[in-house]
Amino acid sequence: MTAVINTEVEGGRTAGAPPSSTRRNWAWVGLVPFFAFLLLFLIIPALTVFFNALRTEDGFSLAALGEAFTGQNREAFKFSIMFSAGAAFVGVIWGTLLAYAAAVLIRPKWLRNLITSFCGVAANMGGLPLAFAFITLLGARAGVLTNILNWFGLRLYDHGFDLGNTAGLIVVYSYFNVPLMVLITLPAIDGLRQSWREACANLGGTTWTYWRRVGLPVLTPSLLGGFLLLFANSFAAYATAAVLTDNSKIVSLRIAFFLGGDVAIGEDAVGFGLVAWMIIIMAVCMTLYWVARRRAERWQSL
Amino acid sequence: MAVAVTMDLPIDAPLPLDPELGATTTAPTALAPQSVGRPNAKYSRIVPIAVVTISAFFFLLPLLTLARHSLQNVPAFLLGKDTILKKWSLEPLWRAFDDPDFMPALKLSLTLAVGTVFLTLALLVPTAVWTHLRLPKMRTFIEFITVLPYMIPAIALVAGIVIVKPHARWFLNSNFALIPFYVVLALPFTYRSIDAGLRAIDLRTLVDASRSLGAGWGTTLRKVLIPNLRTSIISASFLTAAVVIGEYTIASTLLKRTLPQFQREYTQREPQAGYALNLLALLVTTLLFVLLSVLTKKRDQSRKPYVPPADTTPHTSTGTPT
Repeated sequence: MTAVINTEVEGGRTAGAPPSSTRRNWAWVGLVPFFAFLLLFLIIPALTVFFNALRTEDGFSLAALGEAFTGQNREAFKFSIMFSAGAAFVGVIWGTLLAYAAAVLIRPKWLRNLITSFCGVAANMGGLPLAFAFITLLGARAGVLTNILNWFGLRLYDHGFDLGNTAGLIVVYSYFNVPLMVLITLPAIDGLRQSWREACANLGGTTWTYWRRVGLPVLTPSLLGGFLLLFANSFAAYATAAVLTDNSKIVSLRIAFFLGGDVAIGEDAVGFGLVAWMIIIMAVCMTLYWVARRRAERWQSL
Repeated sequence: MAVAVTMDLPIDAPLPLDPELGATTTAPTALAPQSVGRPNAKYSRIVPIAVVTISAFFFLLPLLTLARHSLQNVPAFLLGKDTILKKWSLEPLWRAFDDPDFMPALKLSLTLAVGTVFLTLALLVPTAVWTHLRLPKMRTFIEFITVLPYMIPAIALVAGIVIVKPHARWFLNSNFALIPFYVVLALPFTYRSIDAGLRAIDLRTLVDASRSLGAGWGTTLRKVLIPNLRTSIISASFLTAAVVIGEYTIASTLLKRTLPQFQREYTQREPQAGYALNLLALLVTTLLFVLLSVLTKKRDQSRKPYVPPADTTPHTSTGTPT
């Protein structure tokens, strides 16, 4: 593509068109509407959050950012990070297994297509309907599965299970995390060459050696990237959690609680401190994911 | 709303990992000990099949129980052999439709969806075309910018909006104020879709041909580019619509009475009819995504015959002026 542009510019110059430099200087103007739009509706709201989190009556201080990590807020971060990491872990393992199954099972020809198409749908599902669907499956009273298990004498809710607790949230979030992981790892698993396996066998390696020395190292960037993305995905989810639980142990619910009233400026610096931390955590995760994805693609473009 | 990377999935890609079919390799493998790398291939299918079966149950059960709960008027603890087929009806759904608040909420959500689709296309198509034509070096940067909404999730974005609100009440009090924020939320999906479409066509040749035939930029966009980007544009629109129809976080914090907001509130008021409404919302979104995956697959297939197979001359088509 760059080569194309270069020849075009050279050709233009010899034909007596205006020098290329002026043209290149003005090309960015075409992007102004797009960037202005993003500035107005994404960047400015995000920056005002930081601004408000840092501002106090007399100047700026990091107090609110520190306070967002104490007391109940600290508990919320702990809980959110814990269950998001758990949900990401489950999603990575399960998603990779499912992607592997989709790649290996060729016998019913339609199976792979069905799995990938369904994952494309389910990865986007989230939101209210998903939470309500799980209430009908695993809810305390309305849940069909809960009732079936009760009938067998296994009382989930007597053992501390709740859709709003760590275990429950992991189960529900798996519904969109697992498909997302399948979409991320399937290309990487497809990138594993049969010839590598054969080379490993020729050198006397077993299946175990193959996975230990070749398969897993090649997949590692994808798995790490997937973990980060799923973690971020679970950490930021709001609508699903809002239906399942009304406790403010979850950071995103806590933020909503702070935003509940029509908050005046500077009134709730701590609430904005929470938001600021959330953006920081998300930014770190997504940047690392970006890096991991770049590395993962190295083997896929062979 | 979960983030997803639906677009660039090589659905019809070859399966190099397949243990039974991995035949197309180089010569020495004919003598290679075939079984060493994978002992008892018969049993190696058991684990994948188990994974797929368990997953199928996990993904189908919640949908089935939601459907049952919505359309069957029997409490879960009374379910049994003799009650399972009784008292099914679509009545809860009609009841939800009859609620006086339903229509306005639906209308608002649909209007927002249409508005968001148009604003997205008006903003992204020219920007993406311009980037591909004139600023190809900026492509990676723009791609990075378009995933920023992942870093600033809806709940964080709405916090920023709440802060700005006192300064922009004239704007934010309107229901349509949600449109630009929804454009932002859908941006990672939509930009990828349009970008992928532009990569698949020979943009420069098309534009040069159109321009040298005397068309202005407007005509080129309307008569040449948009028809060529049809599938991309449609899939971007569907993705946007699905995002808007399901968006709850921003709408509920800003107290806009959109469909998800109504779903939540109505389910508290009228549980069964509310669940039926959620079921319907789920089905509609699913339908959008299924249509989308059918469309994108068609595009992938139609991409192949783009280079005429009989054409023996190197198909460079760089549009180099000579």
